[in-house]
Amino acid sequence: MKIDWNEKIDAAHECLHKGRLSRRSFVKFLTLAGASIGLVGGPFGRLTRSARAETKSIRFDGWGGTTSEAFRKYAFEPFTKATGIKVVDGEFGDMDTYLTRVKASFPPGGEFNLAHLSGVFDYARYVDLGYATQLDESKIPNLQNVMAAMTAPYRAITDGKLSAVPYDLGQTGIAYNTKHIPKEKADELGAGLLWDKELDKKLGSWGDWRTNIWYGALYTNQNPNDIEDMDAVWDALKAQQGMIKKYWGSGAELMSLLANEEIYATVAWSGRVAHLQEQGHPIGFLAPENCYSWQECIFVLKGTDLRAAEKLLNFMLEPSAAIAVAEGQKYPPSLDPTKVPMPESIQKLPAFDPTGKLEGYLFADPVYWNGHQLEWSEKWDRVKSGA
Amino acid sequence: MQKSSWRPWALLAPSLTAVFLLLLVPLCFIVVYSFWLRAPTGADIAAFQLGNYKKFAADFFYPSILLRTIRVAFETVVLCLLMGYIPAYFFYRSKTRHKSVLLLLIMIPFWISFIIRTLSWINILGDTGLINHVLVRVGIISEPLNMLYNEGAVLMGLIQYLLPFMILNVYVSLEGIDKSLLEAARSLGCTEWQAFREVTLPLSLPGVSAGCLLVFVLTSGTYLPPMILGGPRNEMIANLIFKRVIGTLDWPFGSAISVVLLTLLIIIIYTYNRYLGINQIFKSLQ
Amino acid sequence: MFRISGWSLIRLYTLLVYIFMFAPIVAVVILSFNPQQFGSFPMQGFSFQWYLKLVQNEAILSAFKNSLLLGSLTAVTVTAVAIPAAMAFVRYDFPGKNTLNTLLLTPIMIPEVVLGVALLLFIRWLQQPKSFLLLLMGHVVITLPYVLLVVQARLVGIKRVYEEAAMSLGANPLQTFKEITLPLLTPAVLAGMLFSFTISFDDVTATLFWATAQNQTVPVKIFGMLRNSISPEINALGTVMIVLTISTPLIAGYLIRKFARGGTIN
Repeated sequence: MKIDWNEKIDAAHECLHKGRLSRRSFVKFLTLAGASIGLVGGPFGRLTRSARAETKSIRFDGWGGTTSEAFRKYAFEPFTKATGIKVVDGEFGDMDTYLTRVKASFPPGGEFNLAHLSGVFDYARYVDLGYATQLDESKIPNLQNVMAAMTAPYRAITDGKLSAVPYDLGQTGIAYNTKHIPKEKADELGAGLLWDKELDKKLGSWGDWRTNIWYGALYTNQNPNDIEDMDAVWDALKAQQGMIKKYWGSGAELMSLLANEEIYATVAWSGRVAHLQEQGHPIGFLAPENCYSWQECIFVLKGTDLRAAEKLLNFMLEPSAAIAVAEGQKYPPSLDPTKVPMPESIQKLPAFDPTGKLEGYLFADPVYWNGHQLEWSEKWDRVKSGA
Repeated sequence: MQKSSWRPWALLAPSLTAVFLLLLVPLCFIVVYSFWLRAPTGADIAAFQLGNYKKFAADFFYPSILLRTIRVAFETVVLCLLMGYIPAYFFYRSKTRHKSVLLLLIMIPFWISFIIRTLSWINILGDTGLINHVLVRVGIISEPLNMLYNEGAVLMGLIQYLLPFMILNVYVSLEGIDKSLLEAARSLGCTEWQAFREVTLPLSLPGVSAGCLLVFVLTSGTYLPPMILGGPRNEMIANLIFKRVIGTLDWPFGSAISVVLLTLLIIIIYTYNRYLGINQIFKSLQ
Repeated sequence: MFRISGWSLIRLYTLLVYIFMFAPIVAVVILSFNPQQFGSFPMQGFSFQWYLKLVQNEAILSAFKNSLLLGSLTAVTVTAVAIPAAMAFVRYDFPGKNTLNTLLLTPIMIPEVVLGVALLLFIRWLQQPKSFLLLLMGHVVITLPYVLLVVQARLVGIKRVYEEAAMSLGANPLQTFKEITLPLLTPAVLAGMLFSFTISFDDVTATLFWATAQNQTVPVKIFGMLRNSISPEINALGTVMIVLTISTPLIAGYLIRKFARGGTIN
């Protein structure tokens, strides 16, 4: 309908140019057209939308590149073949951009269905903003194979129910160049390696506030999920700031910094380090005590056809799909290795836990971190820029 | 200059409609948002309060980033002008057949995504990058030079992105100069340099002015070069907005910073249009 | 003497500027032949593997098609919109001119993040789903200032005398525009189209917000790859595009000359 009007406006405009239409009637026409677009957008917008909802498709948003290739091949295509429902897969730039788009979308949440979210705190953010659903777990048989330790944090947020299935896990540990830093030294210093004076201007860090405060807490021997002396953490981060060469912003940047020996040590995502190691770069990965562990989930947003979503989730949790995705992004899957045999390529990945219990893995407490988000992230901006 | 009551409006109608619908109206949302509150959960609460603006001006942190942005934008303009005018003049005077190809070449860097292009400087300026690699090999230096993650690197990235705009703007307006004017000046005994100073330079000013304006405004809204090539102290205002709007979903505060930036830019551009703008320069030429 | 040395200095300077502009591009082109995914110089070997992967990567190729389509449509639409506006500003006097001129430049003054979110809020308020039309219109608004500035700067240099002469010979304004002004404007129109195409083609932030899943562009794909790693296939794609853009006009020019020469012999 909108397009029709646009054409008519163009036609009218042409008439105006040819002098067949007076200016007054042109303006009248424009007003009319504007009003009609407004009308279509208003009450009638709803009608056209619901008419369109008939088409059978479900939307998934996730990380691009190899990850989405693996999903397409091992989960979406078999799913479409089995159910006839098309999977529209989009890619998000990063978590934050995606949430921004979800928040600004129309109908609220309806444009988006499933998303590959990172971190329990993100799960909590979506729940807080009212995007949660309630999955019928009996419809997702493969959920049986998922480590119970990974579903527990989600259940804690949504009263024992789930609005997502855990999908993979990783760690933000420390990557170091083994040519310049011996393994013994790294093991001995632990988090202190990131404060080593010998590495002045050869250190890197992620620009993210959570990670830096977490490591500040480790350096000052505090529990990252309950920091008592926050000033000590800020002081440590201020002292570190002068030695940091670059606060990187993406995995691609992280890998380029390490591979080109711009920096010798940095906090790093385990999957990226595994990727570099696979390519033969001399990069070691150190997970110090209380290393920052995290997990990712496939979240189902409000307004989604739950039947279809549950079916799709089951396809995504098939071992073949989960393993292919894990190989693509180098983060171990959420499947319990004691129930589902894992190939060697997965067993070698950092953050892989053969016991399936995740004992000794420390995750960020979502309530604690989300509660301090605004205050700490603003303060971090200042510390980071040396103010 | 013609005076006609309706023609200019008819000519402006399409662009004004587009800008009105897709820019001005959405912008009102931003202005409204800048007075709202943000709940700790991330939800926005409708309100009318000046807290966001107060937060911006509470101490020198945010204003200093704004000032830095303007300084960097100004530096970029000057550098782009210094680096861009001569190539544009070269195209204008050159008699080569491949002029159009040369011009097209200057836009070619854009075929490679901005992200990739910016990241690529790491391969050139970095410790193991091309320049250091060659210098160490040749033996001029023993330790690699530190060229990345400072304001210089940010400026490089910005110039690489904005120089084509300057060159093309200047070139287009040079190309509009009647060559017979130059011949006349030469036949009156002017040297090449005098002819350039008296005829070409003043007549090319509209293009210079347009180019400067474009470069200035674009620099103040860019966040990728400071993010990728800058150090911790090189953040600009657009980085801050990006972090507030996207990172912490603090739309009210992000909106407030945007409104401040926008107001400042509008003041600058309005004054500029009024005293130095294209039309002004045109009038002074007559 | 002055002329020769001055001119060669200008030439040298231009060459240096080109070297500066192309340094990162050359690095990208060279690295597209690097068998290793990370690390740069010195390169360990030479391979075409990323080109082979690119040809098989349907996701990137379809994004590339989207980018081309969007860029071309934007270029055409925005030029059609900007030329009349530039005419109004340069050729006519009317109240509020300065304000409106500033207004039409605002799209580049607002950081794209803000513009991206704002437009989404607006269409949410209108209760409209996202569409290709919205993306196109968004790009038209973003690129409008570039085209407007370059066309205006050129138009200022075109003397009114020509237009007045045509009018006095009985041409109506439209004819005058078509026969006199437009041909004189051509360089600016081409520059404007080139600007708008490249900006639309290379835009990340706003497109990220406005694009539906079906019309994602190459930069959006690249942004999505940032977290894990940007595949050198992207370098290969850039190289292919550069080769195409440089060779097309050269080959066309060569063919035209050859054709013309053949014509004179006959």
